[in-house]
Amino acid sequence: MTGQPAAADTRTKLRDVLIVDVDVHIDDHPAALAPYCDMPWRRSLELQGTLPQRYLSAAGYSPQLGLDPPFPGGLNARHTSTAAQMREELDALSIDVGIVFPDHLMLMAQLPRADYAAALARAYNRWLLERWLTVEPSLYGALVAAPQDPEGAAREIERYASHPNVVAVYLPTSAVYPLWGHRKYDPIYAAAEAAGLPVMLHSVSAVFPAFPFNLEQFDTALARHTISHTFAMMANMISMVTTGVPVRFPRLKIAFTEAGISWVPFMMWRLDKEYNEMRREVPFLEDRPSRYVRQMYFATQPVEEPENPRHLTATIDVIGDDHVLFASDWPHHDFDHPRQVFDLPLPLETKRRIMGENALRLFNIPVPTRAKT
Amino acid sequence: MADVAVARVGELPPGASRVVRSGRIEVGVFNVGGRYYALPNVCAHQFGPLCEGPVTGTLICTVETDWKLAWVREGSIVVCPWHSLEYDITTGRCLAYPGIKLRQYPVRVEGEQIIVSV
Repeated sequence: MTGQPAAADTRTKLRDVLIVDVDVHIDDHPAALAPYCDMPWRRSLELQGTLPQRYLSAAGYSPQLGLDPPFPGGLNARHTSTAAQMREELDALSIDVGIVFPDHLMLMAQLPRADYAAALARAYNRWLLERWLTVEPSLYGALVAAPQDPEGAAREIERYASHPNVVAVYLPTSAVYPLWGHRKYDPIYAAAEAAGLPVMLHSVSAVFPAFPFNLEQFDTALARHTISHTFAMMANMISMVTTGVPVRFPRLKIAFTEAGISWVPFMMWRLDKEYNEMRREVPFLEDRPSRYVRQMYFATQPVEEPENPRHLTATIDVIGDDHVLFASDWPHHDFDHPRQVFDLPLPLETKRRIMGENALRLFNIPVPTRAKT
Repeated sequence: MADVAVARVGELPPGASRVVRSGRIEVGVFNVGGRYYALPNVCAHQFGPLCEGPVTGTLICTVETDWKLAWVREGSIVVCPWHSLEYDITTGRCLAYPGIKLRQYPVRVEGEQIIVSV
């Protein structure tokens, strides 16, 4: 879409459009992963599985400082524990295809033991294939890449890349240190590029001395959650562009999730502005940074809800409607119903791209034969 | 308008709620302190099933409370199970957006039967 938008479609129904959801979450409870975990860490998960779990917060598993009390009248946590349950829930949301991410392991980048973190990633990947991707063909998955062990993560990518329902590599982004642009992660990018699997960044709120850092200064979850995911994405995007990841791995597709999309034009314009003066620091870039950002992909959730929806469609126009992907984040508390994106004042062809066609192309997913029920 | 039987009086004590259907319309009926109220089972935000959410209270923080949190209106607030938007059951007003007020359906008691007009 360029220039003035074509006439907005208001007649097509959600159920008549293919919907690919690039971010749904499965309950990677330690007791569920334990049987899939190598020794000795299987013993650890068996014990961890007997402990009470809070929402995305388990000491030694999904570490959080856990600053907030259960808030009076506050959020309720939902979990999706089986492939059949997920299929049923996606049907209710009119979603045809889901791309699966973990719950707890979104926080695994903070775990200091590389051997433990790598064992968790291997256990998750085995469990993902056996209990989800081979059970429900409309679910596709992102392999977890442990940043603590890039060579091990590269081997995991090579091991599973040929499975038809493995379509991406998940880069745990919450509090990853160093940021994902560091050269130490090159083995992951080389393996993902060779396998033709996009890498996907996804963060979660956490208080930790790494991006998104210093969140403890805010005394509400509202304040922290406003910037946590987005700052994590911004920091990692800056890191990846300014260390030349898209230059070293030109065929690597990079996607950003759960930060909305309004930060992207800001990043494009800000990076370009700095590049004017400081290009000599990044001489490997062959063009302005926004040209590289323009090659990346962005998931909509939590999609912005401006009073005037044209402000959001203008944002999509800046990014390019061929690089925006619908995501719900089901079953998390801040999930978006597909209607929230589908009902934007956009022409039908743009809606079809964002709701599903872009994702089919990016993840090389065949057009699903299964009609949603 | 169609009359829909909701429950017997004893089946819907204060703090309780029940969702009933009339054709394609779903309505949540609530008992707040012995009075009955009914709201559409549709949140104004992303159309979540509002009336299936918990009935609870809410927090205020005003000059009257000396800018301290105070828990108020227990039993008169329904919270959408999707994104936690709160509504005052007795007025239909959304606490987050003063411009949003849901329609209210009349509820009456005939004998022992609670009836909502949808």
